[in-house]
Amino acid sequence: MITRARLLMPLAWRNLWRNPRRTIITVLVVSVGLWSILTLAVVLGALSTSSRDTTLKLMTGQGQIHAAGYRDDPTVAHRMPPPNTSLARMLHSPAVQSFAARVRVSAIVQSEYKTLPVTLAGVVPADERKISVIPSQVTIGRYLDGAGDNVIVLGRDLAERLKTRVGKRVVVMTQNANGQLAERAFRVAGLFAGSRRAEDEFIFTGIQTAQAFTGIGNDISEISFETTSDAALPGLITALHQIAPNLDVQSWKELAPLPYAVSAYVDLILVIWLGIAVSLVTSGIVNTQLMAVFERTREFGLLQALGMRPRLVLVEVAMESMWLNTLGIAVGLAAAIASVRAFPNGLELGFLARGAEIFGGSHLLHLHINLGDFVLYSLIIWVLGVAATLWPARRASKVSPVEAMSRT
Amino acid sequence: MPNIVECRGVTKLYRQGSIDVPALRGIDLAITKGDFASLAGPSGSGKSTLLNVIGGLDRPSSGSVKVDGEEITGLDGNALADLRLRKIGFVFQAYNLIPVLSAAENVEFVLQLIGMERGKRHARAEEVLHDVALDGLANRRPSRLSGGQQQRVAVARALASRPSIVLADEPTANLDSKTAEDLITLMSHLNEKFGVTFLMATHDSRVTSRTRRHIVITDGRVAVDERRAANCNLGKLAWAG
Repeated sequence: MITRARLLMPLAWRNLWRNPRRTIITVLVVSVGLWSILTLAVVLGALSTSSRDTTLKLMTGQGQIHAAGYRDDPTVAHRMPPPNTSLARMLHSPAVQSFAARVRVSAIVQSEYKTLPVTLAGVVPADERKISVIPSQVTIGRYLDGAGDNVIVLGRDLAERLKTRVGKRVVVMTQNANGQLAERAFRVAGLFAGSRRAEDEFIFTGIQTAQAFTGIGNDISEISFETTSDAALPGLITALHQIAPNLDVQSWKELAPLPYAVSAYVDLILVIWLGIAVSLVTSGIVNTQLMAVFERTREFGLLQALGMRPRLVLVEVAMESMWLNTLGIAVGLAAAIASVRAFPNGLELGFLARGAEIFGGSHLLHLHINLGDFVLYSLIIWVLGVAATLWPARRASKVSPVEAMSRT
Repeated sequence: MPNIVECRGVTKLYRQGSIDVPALRGIDLAITKGDFASLAGPSGSGKSTLLNVIGGLDRPSSGSVKVDGEEITGLDGNALADLRLRKIGFVFQAYNLIPVLSAAENVEFVLQLIGMERGKRHARAEEVLHDVALDGLANRRPSRLSGGQQQRVAVARALASRPSIVLADEPTANLDSKTAEDLITLMSHLNEKFGVTFLMATHDSRVTSRTRRHIVITDGRVAVDERRAANCNLGKLAWAG
């Protein structure tokens, strides 16, 4: 067997370069096909993750706890006290990866030029960093320092619409615990860049500042939490229901049904797209390989005439195909990795951003190489490419040497 | 001398549409060890078909073919490939060398298929290339060899495994007169010196005039089978080129 491999491997390699143009075209078909599949998988995967994360990593988390009635009327009237001992123990258990308490009320923000509706969130910055991406998305100025920080952080787009900037002041108005209008000026400390919807909707200050502003003492509006895994979520929700039966505990699928549906939809599109891409690439490879094999029927006849068994002819062709597909896959993999690494800070969707946001995604897609996907798709293309050669090679090897050699 | 090839009642029918066209109509022929034989006949007479049937490249419709005493008509594809590898050397009209291999590698290819170890393989390739006077050209690929040189590599390849018989199909058809003469001289020399058995299908009177046995096939039958002294002149045959 080793002797046969020693005989056939160099022969297969040299045969590749007998017709460099054909070899290069086939390598290109394989590599461009694989590159397109891998980059498409990365981009669609990033879009799917973005769609989910835009919701979960924004404010929602994997679940939330509210006072009963808050979701129907999200005002300070439906607030709740800080977690009691048993709830606090549960939130600090290993089942919960992180959580953040917030004051969250509807408000109006006003600059010298414009007045716009927003949601004011009073947050504990250290906790918020564990559960939300917004603290890491501050691109101008700074995020909040602590629970008592009395500055405000706005979305980049909101700041543009208000025609304000870091260092300037805006006025925030909301209803306080007494049902009266509370009003206060805040200095803008930072601007965050996320999805346009988030940039326009949320403004942030320290939780103690928000509590004082709304006059609710130590009370809070919500607790957002994350589990260690999706699978652990239903069990945690049930446990929280048992510990705090008077509170409203919901998973993100109920809190944000649209993003959930969109995330599932994007995942489905991803599978369909990849199916189509794999089919197209495979048909291209099959076509090229078929031509390459059939035009060499005469040569396979010669090899058999010299005493090579039909099975060895098949092995020789398979080896050529392995070389060819391995080369194409190496080039395609390298190109795909280079393409992903070309965007270390994420892929700005530009004019497509609005479309992405309809699907709940961000205008900035963070591209990540999923090693498992890369190996799987490369393997699929490799196997299909080699298999595509075996069928015509098997046919060619079954033609009698005389018939094969009579072909031109 | 023992028979290397024995054909008894060999027929071959080719199907063209709904009609069976006979190419061989009951060939009885024996080639003995050391024969230097030409197989002549007009185009379509069946000489190439007979050569292919003897070489196991094609199967007869009926009859018996024995090579080195082994009945080959019932052998499967693998067994026929093994038979060709070990007992039969081929020389084709169009040389049919493997273009990506050098002259020496083309010769060694057959030996490698047999499973001969590297050292012996190199030595044998060197030896047969020397026998066909290609000592300095062992590392050249076919594209860098003349037609005559390529055909000599093909002869060397055919001899490499020390086959029982070398079957040559129109070996001189693509060569000019001088090169063709040289090739015939070479094959004749190999036959006389090493006892290699040759059976050559040919139109070429330069070949037929140099062989010691002359077989003529007409309409799928053996019309002439005569042994004679070498170098006799058969140029008078009407169909010969």
